[in-house]
Parts: sequence; C-alpha cells; structure tokens
Amino acid sequence: MTPRRAITSVSVPVLLSGCSDVQSALAPMGPDASRIFTLAGILFAGAAVVMLIVLAALWIAMRGSPDARRGLATDRAVIVGGIAFPTVTLIALLGYGVWVMRANITPVDAAAVQIEVVGEQWWWRVVYRDAEGRRIESANEIRIPVGREVEFRLTSADVIHSFWVPNLAGKLDMFPGRTTTLRLSADRPGVYRGQCAEYCGGAHALMAMEVVAVPEADFAVWLATEAMPAPAPVGETDKRGQTLFLAAGCGACHAIRGTSANGVIGPDLTRVGARRFIAAATLPTSRETLARVIVDGQHIKPGNGMPPFRIFSPGELDALSGYLAGLK
Amino acid sequence: MGWPGLLGSLAGLAAAGLCVVLLVAWSGIYNVSASRGHWPLVELLLRFGMENSVEAHAPDIVPPRLDDPDLVRLGAAHFHTGCAYCHGAPGSPMSAIARHMLPPPPELTDRVDPWSDQELFWIVKHGFKYTGMPAWTTQERDDEVWALVAFLRHLPRLDPLTYRELALGDVMTERQDGRAIAMTTSGADEACARCHGTEGKGPLSDLVPRLHGQPAAMLERALRAYASGERPSGIMKPIATALSPRAKQQVADYYASLAVPPPRTQAEASEAGRRLATEGDATAEIPACLSCHDAQALAIYPRLAGQNAPYMANQLRALQRGSGEGSATRAIMAPIARRLSERQIVELSAWFASLPATP
Amino acid sequence: MTKAKAATPSGEFPHKLPRPKDELARLKEVWALPKGWRILSAVNNTVIGYFYIATAFGFFVLAGILALLMRTQLAVPDNDFIGQETYNQIFTMHGTVMMFLFAVPAVEAMGVLLLPQMLGARDLPFPRLGAFAFWAYLVGGSVFFCTLFVGMAPSGGWFMYPPLSGERFSPGVGADFWLLGIGFIEISAIAGAIEIIVGVLRTRAPGMSLDKMPIFAWTMLILAGMIVFAFPAIILATILLELERAFGWPFFIAERGGDALLWQHLFWFFGHPEVYIIFLPAAGMVSMIVPAMTGTTLVGHRLIVVALIATGFFSFGLWVHHMFTTGIPALSLGFFSAASMAVSIPSGIQVFAWIATLAAGRLKLTAASLFVLGFLFVFTLGGLTGVMVAMVPFDWQAHDTYFVVAHFHYVLVGGMVFPLFAAFYYWAPAFSRRPLSERLGKWAFWLIFLGFNVAFFPMHITGLIGMPRRVYTYPAGLGWDTLNLISTFGAFVVAGGVLLILVDLARNLRPTLQDSAGNVWKAGTLEWMENHVYGARSVPHVDSREPLWTHPTMTDDVHEGRYYLPGSVTGARETIVTSPVEGAPQCVMRLSGPGWAHVLAAVFTAAFFLLLTVKLVTAAIVSGVLAVVMILAWMWDSDPASAGTVDIGGGIRLPTYVSGPTHPAWWAMIVLILVAGALYLSYVFAYLYLWTVSPQGWPSADALPDAPGPAAAAGLLVASGLALAAASRVLSRKDRFRGALAALVAFGVITLVAALALDIWTQWRGGLRPEASGYAAMVYANAVLQGQIVAAIVVMAGFMLARLAAGRLDGSRRVVFDNLAILWWYAVGQGLVGLALTHGFPRLVG
Repeated sequence: MTPRRAITSVSVPVLLSGCSDVQSALAPMGPDASRIFTLAGILFAGAAVVMLIVLAALWIAMRGSPDARRGLATDRAVIVGGIAFPTVTLIALLGYGVWVMRANITPVDAAAVQIEVVGEQWWWRVVYRDAEGRRIESANEIRIPVGREVEFRLTSADVIHSFWVPNLAGKLDMFPGRTTTLRLSADRPGVYRGQCAEYCGGAHALMAMEVVAVPEADFAVWLATEAMPAPAPVGETDKRGQTLFLAAGCGACHAIRGTSANGVIGPDLTRVGARRFIAAATLPTSRETLARVIVDGQHIKPGNGMPPFRIFSPGELDALSGYLAGLK
Repeated sequence: MGWPGLLGSLAGLAAAGLCVVLLVAWSGIYNVSASRGHWPLVELLLRFGMENSVEAHAPDIVPPRLDDPDLVRLGAAHFHTGCAYCHGAPGSPMSAIARHMLPPPPELTDRVDPWSDQELFWIVKHGFKYTGMPAWTTQERDDEVWALVAFLRHLPRLDPLTYRELALGDVMTERQDGRAIAMTTSGADEACARCHGTEGKGPLSDLVPRLHGQPAAMLERALRAYASGERPSGIMKPIATALSPRAKQQVADYYASLAVPPPRTQAEASEAGRRLATEGDATAEIPACLSCHDAQALAIYPRLAGQNAPYMANQLRALQRGSGEGSATRAIMAPIARRLSERQIVELSAWFASLPATP
Repeated sequence: MTKAKAATPSGEFPHKLPRPKDELARLKEVWALPKGWRILSAVNNTVIGYFYIATAFGFFVLAGILALLMRTQLAVPDNDFIGQETYNQIFTMHGTVMMFLFAVPAVEAMGVLLLPQMLGARDLPFPRLGAFAFWAYLVGGSVFFCTLFVGMAPSGGWFMYPPLSGERFSPGVGADFWLLGIGFIEISAIAGAIEIIVGVLRTRAPGMSLDKMPIFAWTMLILAGMIVFAFPAIILATILLELERAFGWPFFIAERGGDALLWQHLFWFFGHPEVYIIFLPAAGMVSMIVPAMTGTTLVGHRLIVVALIATGFFSFGLWVHHMFTTGIPALSLGFFSAASMAVSIPSGIQVFAWIATLAAGRLKLTAASLFVLGFLFVFTLGGLTGVMVAMVPFDWQAHDTYFVVAHFHYVLVGGMVFPLFAAFYYWAPAFSRRPLSERLGKWAFWLIFLGFNVAFFPMHITGLIGMPRRVYTYPAGLGWDTLNLISTFGAFVVAGGVLLILVDLARNLRPTLQDSAGNVWKAGTLEWMENHVYGARSVPHVDSREPLWTHPTMTDDVHEGRYYLPGSVTGARETIVTSPVEGAPQCVMRLSGPGWAHVLAAVFTAAFFLLLTVKLVTAAIVSGVLAVVMILAWMWDSDPASAGTVDIGGGIRLPTYVSGPTHPAWWAMIVLILVAGALYLSYVFAYLYLWTVSPQGWPSADALPDAPGPAAAAGLLVASGLALAAASRVLSRKDRFRGALAALVAFGVITLVAALALDIWTQWRGGLRPEASGYAAMVYANAVLQGQIVAAIVVMAGFMLARLAAGRLDGSRRVVFDNLAILWWYAVGQGLVGLALTHGFPRLVG
C-alpha cells in the first residue's frame, strides 16, 4: 500500500463521518465537547506545523545546501529548535488548555438537573429525583433536557467504569466508594451514544448507553410519566406475563414499580418497553430480543449476572416478553 | 553405528512390536473368557498394580465425620441399591452370577479395613478398569461418595437385622398404586420410602430431602433430571432411571399429597440467615431466596421451608461446584449459589430448616 | 605502526612488545567458555547478552502474534473469531509481555551485551548476578506466557486495576500469575539494573571520565537508576494486591476502608518512568548509530546528556497524567499537565541534536540509517500526540480510546522497536561473522514503516470517533468498520517485515567471539575493536569520546597487548575497577566464572513464585529454601582473599582486594539499599495516601496499643544497632575476638527479630486484625516489609558466621561483613521509621 492510498483511505471515512457520528468527539453537540473540539483542531494544526518543521529540518540536514546544513549543525540550532521553540509553544498551549479545563469544570447553572449514574458490570443504573427527592430509577438510557446543564453524579457498584458520551463531553471515571461529578449540556435534541471507557472485565465491550436529549417541556412530561407506577397489564396474555414475572422470581432482581417486584440487583424494568435498547444498548427493544435475553442472556453478554431462564414454554415466554415490551 | 543408525533400529523395533500386538489381536489366539481365571502370577501382578495405583491416586483430602449417622444411613440405602447385588450384604450372600465375574467381586466384610478412608473414597468414586467395578455415576457428588465410605466403615460390624433396618427402614411390598410404587418397584431396592419416608414419617437421614408437600411438578422434573444426568447424583440416578415416566408422575403426586411430618431435630436459626433469605444481599448480587422458594412461586421451584439443613447445604455446595449447566432450574440456581459464602450457606440452610413447612 | 602515539597521558604504551608467548594463551584459558551444552553455565556478558536478546526478541514475536490475533478479531464488526474471555486474556498478555518480557529485558540485554565492550571492561562486575537475572527471567517469563495455553492467563489488563483484579471480580489464579510472575520478573530487572549501574560507574577503561563516556552508557546508567526508583512502587503494589487476594487484607476495597485509586498512583508512579526506561536506551542507541553513519561526532553531546538526566528526573513527576479522567482536583491536573508537556523538551533537544549531526556529516543510507530515520518520523509524531493528551481537556476525550492506542504505539514502537532494529543491523557485525543483509534489511524497514503507519495512523481517528480501548468487538454502523479493517491490514504488513528480519537473522547472523565481521561502519567507540570472550586483549587508555577515531591504530595496539592488563595477572578472570567520575584505576577485581549454582538458584526462585501461585505451598517452600541454598553456594567463592598488589602496566600497581566504598560490592549494596528505601517510601506514601482518603479509619490515640510496646521495640532496635557497631569494632581489631564477634552478631540478629515480633504482637494483642480495615492492613504491611529485610539479614548473618568459622572472613577480608552491616543499619533505620509511622502518626493526627 502506498502512503497516498493510506491517506485517502483514512480521510474518506472522516469525510463520511456525518452519517455515523452518534458516538464521536468530532461531532460536538454541546458546549463542553465543542470547546474540546476546537482545542483538538488547534492541537492538530499545531502538530502538523511542528511535524513539517521537523521534516523540513531533516530534509535540509540531509539534502540542503552546505550553508543551510552548517547552520543546522550547531548547538545553537539544537537550543533554538529543541528548547526555545517548544517552551514558547507549550506555555501558550498550556494556558489555553487550562482555560478550557476550567471552563468545562466550572458549574454554569446552580439549578442543574441532577442525575445519578451507577456503573455496574455491564450496565448503567440511572436515578433521577423528582421535586420531593423521590428516586425514579431507570437503566441504560438517559433523558436530558436540551439547553439545561445536567450534573451527573457518578459512582460504581463493583469495579471502575468510565462515563463517556463523546458528542457531549469528555469522560469521567466511576469508582466504588467515591462519587465523581460531571456537568454537561446538549445544544440540540438528538440521541447520543455513550460507552464505558474504562476496562471493566468480561463484557466491557458491550456496556453502552444512550443519552436522549429532548426539549425541556418534553423532558418534564417524560419525567412525570417515568415517576408513575408501571401500567397495569391489560388483556389475558399480559396478565399471564405479569403473573409469570412474579412467580418465576424475576422480581428478586428487577423492580417494576406498582407490583411486588422490588429487586435492586438488576435494571429497573418499570418502563423497559419505552427504552430504545435493552442489554446496555446492545439490542433494540422488542418482544423477540426481550425473550432472547430471558432465555439466552449469557450468550448475548457472557458473564453477566442474570442466569438463563429456560424454564418457560413458548407460550409462557411470549406472554412474559410481551408484558415487558408493553411496559411503556 | 552413529545416532541415525541407533534411532533407526529403535524405530524398527517399535514398529515390529506393534505389528506383533496387532497380529495377536487379529488372530484371536488370546482367550478373553472369564471362565478360566488369571494365571496366578498375572493375578499377583494385577493385584500389586491395583493396590499401588489406588495408593498413588487417592486424594489428599480430609474426609467429613464418617461416624455421622445421617451419612451412614444414606450410604446404607445406596449400598443396598447399587452394591449389594455383586458384593452381597449382611444376611444376603452375593449373587451366584456375580461370583462368576473375573475377578469375582470381594465380600466386603473383611476387605474394607486395609484401605484408608481416602483410598476407599477413590475406589468408590472411580471404580476399576477391566473388573466390572463401575465408577460413581457422576463425578460431581463427592458428598454422596463419602456417604458410602461412611457406611463401608460400619459394614464389617453389622448384623443382618441392623443392616436391614439401616438400608430398608420399614419398607413393605403390597398394593399397586402411587403409594405402592413409592414403597416398592421391582423389589424393595428402588423404594423411595427407604430414604424419604412416608405418611407421617420424614426421612431418617437429614442428608435426604423431605419431599412431603413439595409441588408435584418440581418432584417430577427432579426425577427426570436425575435420570438424564442433568442433576448429578450417583444415588438417585439408578433409581430414577428405573422409574417409567408414568411412575415418576405418580410418585411425585404421592409425595406432593403428603402432609409434612414434624422435623426430627430443631434447627437453630440466625438473623443473618433470615435477612439473606427474605431480602437478599444486593451488593453481592444475591437475590432474596423467598422470591422463588416461597409458596407462591412457580410449581417447578422447590419450597424450602422446613427442609433438612444438611441436605440443603449439600445441594448448594454441589451447585457451586457443578461444572455443566444442568437442568433449566439448576442453570438458574447455580450462578446464585456461587455467590454464597460457606457461612451464608450454613446460615440459610439453618434458617429454612427452622421454619414450619407451609404447603 | 610502532611509531603511533599511545592514548595515555604520557603518550607511552603501558606495555612493550613483544608480549610473553604464553600470555595470550593463558588469558584465553582463563576466560574459556564451557563446551557443548555446558554453555548454559556460562556467565560471560557476551554469551548471556546473546541469550538475553534472543529471549526478549522471542517474546516480542510471541506478543506480536497475539497482536495479530486481536487485529483479526477486530477486522470486522461483531466478529466472533475470538471470544470475550480469550480476547481479554490476549490483550492483557500482549501488553504485559511487550512491557515486562520484551521491552525492559531487551534494553537491559543490549546493555549487558554492549556495555563492557563499549567501556573497555572484560565483563560486567557481577557476572553470575547477570546470568541469574537472565535465567530467572527466561524460566519465569516462559511459564507466565504458557498460562495462555491453559486458559489460566490474567485478563485484567496489563495495568491490573483493582477492584477488577481483586479476588471478588477475578477469582482463579490468572491474576495471581500476573502479580507473582511480574513481581518476580521485576526483581530480575532490578538485579540487572544493579549490575549495570556498578558496571557503568566502576568498570570503565582507565581515563574514560564521565564526559568521555558514550551516550549509550549514559542512557543505561539513567535507565538503571530509574529502575531502582520506579520498580519498587510496582513491587509494593503487587505485594499489597497479592496480600489482599490471598489473605483478604483490604488495601483497595473501598467498602472496607481501602481505595482503588491507591493502586493507580503506585502503578503509574512505576508505569510512566517505565516508558522512558524503554525509550532512553533506544535513544542512546540512536546517539551511537547517527555519528557512526554520518562519520562525525554527535552535535550537542553535553545537551543530550543534560536532556537524558532531565528526562529521567521529569518522568517521575508525570504519573498522574494517566489519571486525568479520575476526577482529581483541577490544581493537580494543571500541575501534571505542565510537567507532562515539559518532558517533551528533552526529547526535542535530542531530535534536533540528531538532525544537527545529520547536517554536520553525510548520512550513509544503510538499513540501520533507515530505521533511525523511521524512528525520527514515528517518534516525533508520537511525541506530538503526547503533547495533545497532556492537554487535560483533550485527554478527557482521547483517554482510553484508540487515539491513545495509536499514541503510545507511535511512542513505544517508534521510540524503542525502530531503534532496536537499527541496533540489530548496526551492531551485528561486531558480534557476528557476517553482517546482516542490507537488502533484506531495507525491505524489512519499508514493510514495517509503511505497515506501521497504515495500522496505527487510522487509530487516531478511530479513537476520536468514539471507539474505546480493550473492546473485544464493536457494533457495525458507528463508522469504525473501514478504519479497523485498514489497521488490521497494516498490522499484517508489519508482521511481514518482522518475518523478513527473522529470515535475515537466520541466514546471516553467525554469532562469534573470535572473528567478527569487524568495524564495517568505521565507528569510533571501543565495542568496534575485536571482540573476544574476554573483551579486548588489553584495556586501552581512553582520552576522547571516539577513541578509535582519535587513535586510528588503537585496535591493533590493543590487540597486540600494548595497553593495560594484556593477560591475567592473578590467574583468574579479572577486570580493572576505576573511580566513578574520573575513571582512574583503583584495583583489579577478580570475577567469578561459569557455574551451575546461579542457574539452579534462578530456576528454584522462579519455581518458588510459580508454585506459590498455584498454591502448592509445600513445594514452593522447598523450592524457596533450595533457591537460598543455591544463592549461598554461589556466593561462597565470590569473595576471594587478596592476591597482593599487581602491575597492570605503565607503572600502575593496583591492589587485588579492597573494602569499603572502593569495592564494587559496596556500590551494589548501596544501590540495593536505594531499592529497599524506595520500596519503603512507596509504602509510606501508600499509608499516608490511604489516610488522606479515609482518615475516619484511623484510630484515636487511646485506641492504639500502649506506648510501652513500641518503646520496647524501639529499644530492641537500638540494642541491635549497638551490637552491630560493637561487632564492627571487634572485627577491625583482632582475629582472636572471633567468638565475641559471633556472639555480638547473633545477639544483634535476635534483637532485630525480637523487635519485629514484639511489634506484631503488640498490635495483635491490641485487637487489630489485618483483614479488618485498610488501616489495619497497612499496619501489618509495615511488618511484612520489615520482615523481608529481617529475613534477608538472618540468612546473610548465618552466611557471614559460616565464613567466619571457615576462616574466610577477617579484619581485612571483610566485604561480606560490610555488606551485611549496610543492610543491617538500614533495617534498624526502617524499623524505627516504621514504629514512628504506625504508632506515632495516628497519635499526631488523632
């Protein structure tokens, strides 16, 4: 492969990145990511210039005129090129970098929306609080209002994870026994994908999530709905599904508010049917995928905490997954 | 002769040897009949090899308390099912057919003592090649093998009456309904009641589960799983295999219909056991046991209230060690069992044992 | 030729020609290698150096194959070529093997092979120690690698962050293999570092003052110094994590008063210098190759030395830049960001110095030169992306993505592998009958250079468009597919290049210690004189940085035996010991020859650690005891009695036995004390760090054991120190006090042990249990560290007493006692500091 082809094949996907930028630091959708994007642009341009200077010096050293080469072959050239030049550029860069850093850390909005996120092997527990401070729990999909600052309070239930939604902000690690705080906001509505960025064992590769930014009014409505108990099952099949859910012990790990299922080990399923994806943004939500997770979750995400439930007849499985898919 | 020459001759010799062996096997000269016995020298050599092999392979582990009466009783019942036909038992000499095996199975009364506990364990678990002595039908239930070893240690001192009491309890042979199948099948050997008891009477050994009042669906599935090997047990496998599907259903219905007898011993329950069973431990990802094991749960799950603590603890340990996925319900329980510590297992078993059974 | 002026200050050669007829034959006999398979017992730096490099290169190839497996898995989205668990094991092993089994050993190996030749020494000062380090590394490394085939390899990443690597989330022995295996290989690296420091500082040719020392030797000296200070941090970390895994001492478990970040601090305090440990010697090789290939002296020699020292110094202040996303305060983020950028300046100096040298001469475009130019390109790019990730906000996006994967491969492959291949092509003629093939070398270069950029350049983008590291698969549709396929293609092109190098090595490398191809590049440093098993025939006087250029006839003069020590004066293997700065001759040191004890010691040491991992405790203890026995057996003959004063030529008469700071062993011991001190300082840091994280876990003053306990322990330590002082005085006086000496040493050792036991008992009686909390675990960890030193002293004191009884130790032949004393003083000091920390500090703050 020639260098030219290498360059074109590298640059083509970059140009095409408009169609697949749901998880990209190069498609900033919020002020924090934008500032970093600008910084990245400057860094890349600067690096390109420095690289050119070094290559030019190398070229001159090997192929230049005798005078130019004599000029290069001195301690002074080493001091100018190796000490003075980098010192000046680096100090300027450092100042700028520290400014961006402070801008991203400093809180803008004292009344920021607060969301707690707990990293678990290998999914995300999401907790909102309503006006009275009651917990509203969800998983793997985070709704935020557009234009409002959101404060994420991050921690972990087991090993170290890292919370990263590149379109909105840089990443921040999640530790057991510590709480870290990340503030960000989204400029426009959209779905932004995020992924765990600290190796957390086994299925680390499959620990993703989505941040759904919606207009503020929609967010309020959504949150109010989310706070309500799960809709009661209508129709015989759904009722049978709920009975199976409770009798098979699913409620030991999963909560469905409004029923006796109050487990806190696995994701809260109160509105699982309304989420776009299940299994930490691994599979799109549907009857079929829910049924697969119930029966065969260990093949979808090896090592996860949920045992396989191969005890249901096809009819029972259909009723159960249908009930869950209907929880909206 | 240099290296290549030497290596060549060695290879040639090996090839020639292999040819001779093949030739003998193909010709049929060798007599494989069991009717003529081994030559004395061969017999001596085989015996020498066998003894040393056992000594070398016997595991370096500490046995459980082998004078535990629960263990001895369980071992006795299985001895009667699995071993007595070939080895004989107090009061019933070994079968005339078994006597003509090569080598003939030994009468065990005076043959057990020279072996150490670990050596007996190894023999029972693994059997002997080319002798007819089988291995335990599962390699995952060391606790069952120890039960048999415990019994073997008692065997030399047993008179026929005590043996019968230990191995058969008060089994009889009479009517042909579900109850009768439980009490007899082809003979007294497979009768469930030998170990599991009957109306108004629980198991005589705490290592044996109380089946009274359990959901029939669970019992029937368990018998199927024992028969297929999805649920490992060297004791239950031969018994479950011998039961027809209909018989499995009937015997399950029979025990499901029985009232729960009072426990033999009162277990000491701890607060920690209660908390774990009712609330679970979210940080260790242990769900509350009662979500699946109370009276409202699916009928394919066992009810644990009033169950014998030593049996339950053994089952949890077997689930922890189990290698394969096993039956569908075991596949659910095994990962949960692995999250339990030994202490939690003991606390949980004791707490459940202390509960009054609620059918 | 005979008219040539010698390099000595007087201009006269130290020896006249002709030399006695049997002198050379005697020299050859003394240095003869064991024959046939017994070569395994050899200790010569050339032989061990060869083994060492071959092994390291073997691990490079193996880890490279793992990389190809990973790239195959990632070639397309949702691939199931390799499963999750296997992939996790493979990437863990790739990183671990490349870092611990290839990079560090490879640069140390280059040092072992090249340093004595370059410095005009006959061998390294402690040949058996070097051989021991090699064998331990070979055995331990091989077993560690083989865990992959039985599915027992670690899968926690090469950084092994707890709690993921703790017992709860990584049950099984994989993580223990990492901890014990790597901890053990680090010990081997430290042994090598001690050898290198003393070798560089004390065995240079007469006249080779520090400012005339080749840059490569400078880099090796700094590398070894960095190992001494950096590796103890990771050794402490592995000790703590293993204690946690094996016994439940909760150093890193938050809910029991530990902290997960403590590991990261310790790990990166080692891990960052590690990068420079790998890079500096490679830069040193470049600084040797560039002048030779351009035919001119290095421009900015002094600046480069300053830059190297600055790099070594700065590299200890950067570790937090691996933790920018952990949510630590902005102030420290700013500080470490600045420090991370500052470290690029020394590299800038070196890059421009090499360019300046290229400008000053005319570069011959050999395969070695191509690799150097490739290095300049790739490494500069890596340095520039390094400045990017040093910018905290940028790092928040780039951290733990493929951008970082691209960055550090540019730095490490660019900064280490390219120079290493350059070194292969450059130095092969000095140690092989034939040079390597220029044609194959150039092909290999272009394949590796282009393949590397095709593989890794796209990763910068893959990372920024969202792909995290350490994922075994990825979904389609995120824009990562094409880029990953390109990277995979590039990786296989690199593999083709490496394969060509292997072919070249197989076809052309003919190791020899008699008739090497010689100085084909017309280079100016001493390793280009004829290389024999004993180094050069005679040891030259050095008066410039490129002695072969200054004195064109030096190779012949040296070969004819005109310079110092043209034979063996004591009938044993020997090398000239010179002063550390000026290079003035101080004594003739006799070196040990081939043997099996150190090989067996290495095997048993490896067996001890590995058996411990698989919990075969009895077998492990037996191996451990055998290892100690073997070490003692090898040490028994290592301190020969004085052979009087000898003449090395030019009127220089040197003693054959010295003690105190003149003896290289004293220096080795001091370096070892620095290692122990760094280990203990890491511990003090860990203790204080945990306190800052959870001060509520520290007891109030009245919950501590009563003062008399620690006071008595301190008293015992002081008594032990007094006994030692008295023993030292007795030894200096007269031999007839042998009994008194033995009694004093025994008393001192017993009080030392008693002080430790008393302290443990005091804490235990006070109700403190190590599993209880992070604090309690830290208190007992102090006892573990002190216990290690005390155990070493018990063994060494026994050894010393045995020598005393055997008449191998007296008032003048006292190096064994002096070494014991150094460690002993240290143990007393560490014990007192430990008491102050564990009993005094809580009272101070509580």
